Amino acid sequence: MRMPPFTLHSPASLDEALEIASKLQDAKKEFDWVAGGTDLLPNYKWHLNSKKNVISLANVTELFELKATHIGAMVKLHELVESEVVHPVLAKAASMIASVLIRRSGTVGGNICLDTRCYWFNQSEDWRESIDWCHKCDCGTEADCRVIPNQNTLCVATYQADLAPVLMCLDATIHLASSTGTRSMQLTDFFELDGMTRNKLRPGELVTHLTIPKDSAQWEGDYQKLRQRESWDFPEAGVAVMWKMNGKNSPNDLRVATTGLESIPGFHQSQAQYALEDWNGKESIKSLAESIRKAVKPVQNTWYTPSYRRKMARVLTKRACAGLLEDSK
Amino acid sequence: MAEKKDMVGYRQQPGKLPFSRPGSGGKKSFSEPRDESMIPASQGGEKEQPWGSHRHDELLSGRVIGKPTSLIDSKWKVTGQAHYGDDIRLPGELIGKIVRSPHHYAKVLSIDATKALELPGVVAISTGADASQKFGVLPVTKDEHAMAVETVRHVGDIVACVAAENEVTALEAIRLIDVEYEVLESIHDMKDGLNDSEKPIHDRGKYHIGEANIQKRVFQEFGDVNGIQDNAIASHKSNWYFGGVNHAATEPHAAVAHWDPSGRLTLYTPQQVPHYVHRALADVLEIPMHQINVHRTFVGGGFGGKSDPFPHEMCAAILARKSGRPVRITFDREEVYWLNRGRHPSHIEMNLHADSEGRLCGIETDALIDGGAFASFGHVTTYYNGVLHTAPYEIGAFHYTGARVWTNKPASGAMRGHGAVNSRCAVEVGIDDLSEQLSVDPITFRLANLLPPHSATITGFRVTSIGMRECLERVKEASGWDEKFRQMPLGKGIGIGCGFFISGSGLPIHWDPNKFPHATVHLKIDMDGGVTVHTGAADIGQGSDTVVAQSVAEVLGLPLDMIRVRSRDTDTSPVDLGSYSSRVTFMNANAAISAAMKIRQELIDATVIITDAPAKKLVIGDRRIFRKDDPAVGVSYLEALHKAQEEKGALVASGAYRTPPMGRAHKGAAAGLAPAYSFSAYVAEVEVDPETGQTKVQEVWAAHDCGKALNPLSVKGQIIGSCHMGMGQVLSEEMRYGRNGHLMNPDLLDYKIPSIHEMPNVTPIIVESNDPEGPFGAKEAGEGPLLPILPAVCNAVYDAIGIRTHNLPITPDKMFKAIEKKCKLLSIDDPLDLTSPSLEYSELQSTLEARAKNHAQRDIDRRLNENIEAYHNGALFGKDPTIPPDEVDENWTVSVLPSKEYLSNPRLAGKAWLHTERRHRGDD
Repeated sequence: MRMPPFTLHSPASLDEALEIASKLQDAKKEFDWVAGGTDLLPNYKWHLNSKKNVISLANVTELFELKATHIGAMVKLHELVESEVVHPVLAKAASMIASVLIRRSGTVGGNICLDTRCYWFNQSEDWRESIDWCHKCDCGTEADCRVIPNQNTLCVATYQADLAPVLMCLDATIHLASSTGTRSMQLTDFFELDGMTRNKLRPGELVTHLTIPKDSAQWEGDYQKLRQRESWDFPEAGVAVMWKMNGKNSPNDLRVATTGLESIPGFHQSQAQYALEDWNGKESIKSLAESIRKAVKPVQNTWYTPSYRRKMARVLTKRACAGLLEDSK
Repeated sequence: MAEKKDMVGYRQQPGKLPFSRPGSGGKKSFSEPRDESMIPASQGGEKEQPWGSHRHDELLSGRVIGKPTSLIDSKWKVTGQAHYGDDIRLPGELIGKIVRSPHHYAKVLSIDATKALELPGVVAISTGADASQKFGVLPVTKDEHAMAVETVRHVGDIVACVAAENEVTALEAIRLIDVEYEVLESIHDMKDGLNDSEKPIHDRGKYHIGEANIQKRVFQEFGDVNGIQDNAIASHKSNWYFGGVNHAATEPHAAVAHWDPSGRLTLYTPQQVPHYVHRALADVLEIPMHQINVHRTFVGGGFGGKSDPFPHEMCAAILARKSGRPVRITFDREEVYWLNRGRHPSHIEMNLHADSEGRLCGIETDALIDGGAFASFGHVTTYYNGVLHTAPYEIGAFHYTGARVWTNKPASGAMRGHGAVNSRCAVEVGIDDLSEQLSVDPITFRLANLLPPHSATITGFRVTSIGMRECLERVKEASGWDEKFRQMPLGKGIGIGCGFFISGSGLPIHWDPNKFPHATVHLKIDMDGGVTVHTGAADIGQGSDTVVAQSVAEVLGLPLDMIRVRSRDTDTSPVDLGSYSSRVTFMNANAAISAAMKIRQELIDATVIITDAPAKKLVIGDRRIFRKDDPAVGVSYLEALHKAQEEKGALVASGAYRTPPMGRAHKGAAAGLAPAYSFSAYVAEVEVDPETGQTKVQEVWAAHDCGKALNPLSVKGQIIGSCHMGMGQVLSEEMRYGRNGHLMNPDLLDYKIPSIHEMPNVTPIIVESNDPEGPFGAKEAGEGPLLPILPAVCNAVYDAIGIRTHNLPITPDKMFKAIEKKCKLLSIDDPLDLTSPSLEYSELQSTLEARAKNHAQRDIDRRLNENIEAYHNGALFGKDPTIPPDEVDENWTVSVLPSKEYLSNPRLAGKAWLHTERRHRGDD
């Protein structure tokens, strides 16, 4: 495996980074941002949509800040795990990502913007050639999707990052910057179908940081992850549930989000709201879990079968809610 | 003056050695007392010998054998100075890259390399036209070419290769080579391989079986097969599927070829079997063997995956010849999967029967194995799937049908536990089920059905030492079996599994065993006193260099530092069959001992001349040869050596090992023959999550009978490593093929090798049965330890949740499906409401316990009594133990051809016998 050659740009500030990006855009040159590189570089080695220019954010110090309410895009996943200011559920989710070596390199921004994954896509060039390529990396052939054949308008590759559902449940806001200015949006609005589009980042735009509301400390919850091995593996399904207690024995507010099940993470607001009405402890959790199972539609492109992942979304939801029951005792 | 203390933690530096000058005889002029605890009782020491004395007892000097010893090459590895295949850098090297087929099965119509040749930096391009000769690991099934000649047989099959100045250029060049294919209809399901095909994947001429893709078929019937149905009161029937697994050794394959100015080829390659590559290179390159030197580099893990001669090794040699420069080819991980040679995906139908006495009155096995595109070791694998489960139990009848078919996948081959692993798993799970049907304890059932030491199996294997009973008893005790089995709560379970494996294949592949030894070791000692050992045994990380060095050191009473092993070059090493079939310790250590005994004799003779002591009274200690009865009388090793060298200079000696004549005469009788067999019993404790189907192995107690642990550290390492590898196969590892036949996970992220988090706590238990023919009593410990972990886990899963799985790996999704099915059957909503199985003994339990007790005494008598009578399988069923039952009993059959009656209703693999070989159907 060899990386295709590219020009590496190493700006020392955000402004410089955005300026390089804008110049490359003007010159109609395609480029990628690289943060920790743990997702991008393996994909480059596999010649997956690699670009001739790569802008490294390693020296852009503005992106490194970490506070309880502010998480820079370049904060290492390992810092989240070790940090004492980060919400414990976020730290837990971070601690379950890949392996410690990868967490020491991988970043929050990189994890949020993780490329979607698929059995038919994450393969070597020779391998993909032998299946006549696929829609997500068609090498100019207009190839069909290999997961669901006979439709070439949608990519169904799976979003398998762990942080997004937790951050969604924490009501995080994501902040973007480009040479034309900055903008912000709820993280729940950031993701956009399909598996190729992935999110609302425009060309030349990057994630600078996330902010988390001050009341996050009052939110409790859990993140549950399904995978074959307790290291390395991407989530085959992941469920974050967070709640705010009303001081008595039922939650005041409840949020549920999932990952690893579709091309973008899912935020299940209506299901959570429905469960809150007439809260009835164990029974409510059971029906909430069932409604999450129904809400997600995985496809056959990862290690486990879609029907199993879907059913496990139910089990994971139930388990993530375990804290709700303890509190009500 | 203060007494000089032994240095602790001393870092070895040149010129400052932790011992006084080598060979000097030590610091003292008098010998140190020998380590009595390491000297057997039969030689006047303190070491107990519950299994009796051994022919090598008098050679034990108490130095290194039986002591935990770090491998002699370990410092090279941990300091990064070990050179593996890809570490070889020769001046002026070119990089070789391979053009691979994108099609499962196709005719190669044309190859146009014009554009690639024009690319600056490309030096040579080679295609199948450059090497028309076939090769293959077994002489009977040579079916591989260096590069495709006319046909490509799987995605990733080699079409052409390129040598260029650097990797980038080579990679660019392979994409510039235009290959025109005519795509043929491929087959992927091994069941389809049994049918006639328009264009079988290989054509074996008059030996071809019908027009099908059957590479090998086996039929075997032994014992009272017709009586099975009448005798059985309990039967187990199961249909297994085992996914294919890959060795996934840390080091990917690599080869460097160089033609030197004398016109000789040196191939540097991490190989388990340099000798076969040596032969195959001579075939393919059409040059005599003496023009080739195969240099085995350090090997970063083999497990069977580096034991065939490989096409990329041929490619490197061909490109180097074409370009006149050294060529290096290194695989990336995906290419390792294209080469494969992993364990065969298999459909195994396993029927076991028990009679009213709780005896195994019949084993009926049918194994269809998926060979992929080439034969590799498949001929042997097809036999091993049957014959290697005829022990350690005494059985009333054995019926085996096996077939290996070609499909358009990367070739399957030999992998740790070759051919025995899958069917062993099926047998051991079957015994668990039979025990449950009979309401007896599965360990008791096994203890009451074991063959005794020095017996013959139903197919005529000569079994010598058997430590199976001790293995079972010790894991039973260590695991707290009686308090746990069938008594743990839902989701927690414990299970037992056993294993039986060859310790060295009895027949060499390439020659008549009477014409040439299996292993040869040369020793040379010059004035410096250091011993140079030449052996062809390939150290693949298992520690073969160390075990040979240990054997020599022990016999000559020298520290390990004085032994240097030269095992790399076929130019200087005696021919060796290589590191497979768990033969190295048994055969090479035996050869090393016999060579060392010759040197030892010369040293003793010289001592007799110097000291005038009678040779019988002399013993060898730490670099001193002295009188047993008066240690003050003696000479240093170096003195004796120099005396012995007076007339002839350096001492040289050669020792060899060959297996004794063994086995019976039926077709296929040689498959599975070995000079000794290893035995093992594991207990695994698991947790199964009923809600997710996830299985986690918590504890393993692993007892293995290795005859004698020459190096207990290595034996324990092998046991723990085997647990890891076997656990991968049973829980998560699988080469998964997608709906269009593509291998979906040719990488280590999606090929799920268990991580440290999945690894249970393993308690290795070494059982030493002191094999009469093994070196110092040793047998193998490299492959056998893998076998029991699979069934132990499967049986523990059943104990935990009451579900028998017959589909490996037991990934959570499969397990969850089975749980759902069971819940539905029992009309249970929540899987947490399931119950795990329980056990109430039947009357048979006490019968079996009594029999086990008698047999335990029988076994002790047989192993300590030197004049024992023959014992043939069948005695347990009332036959005369001294004669093979088939010689006296009409109902006791030996047959290797199916009857018409069988063919009217064959089992799955048995269908292979519906075809007629071309030579027998009157074709021209």
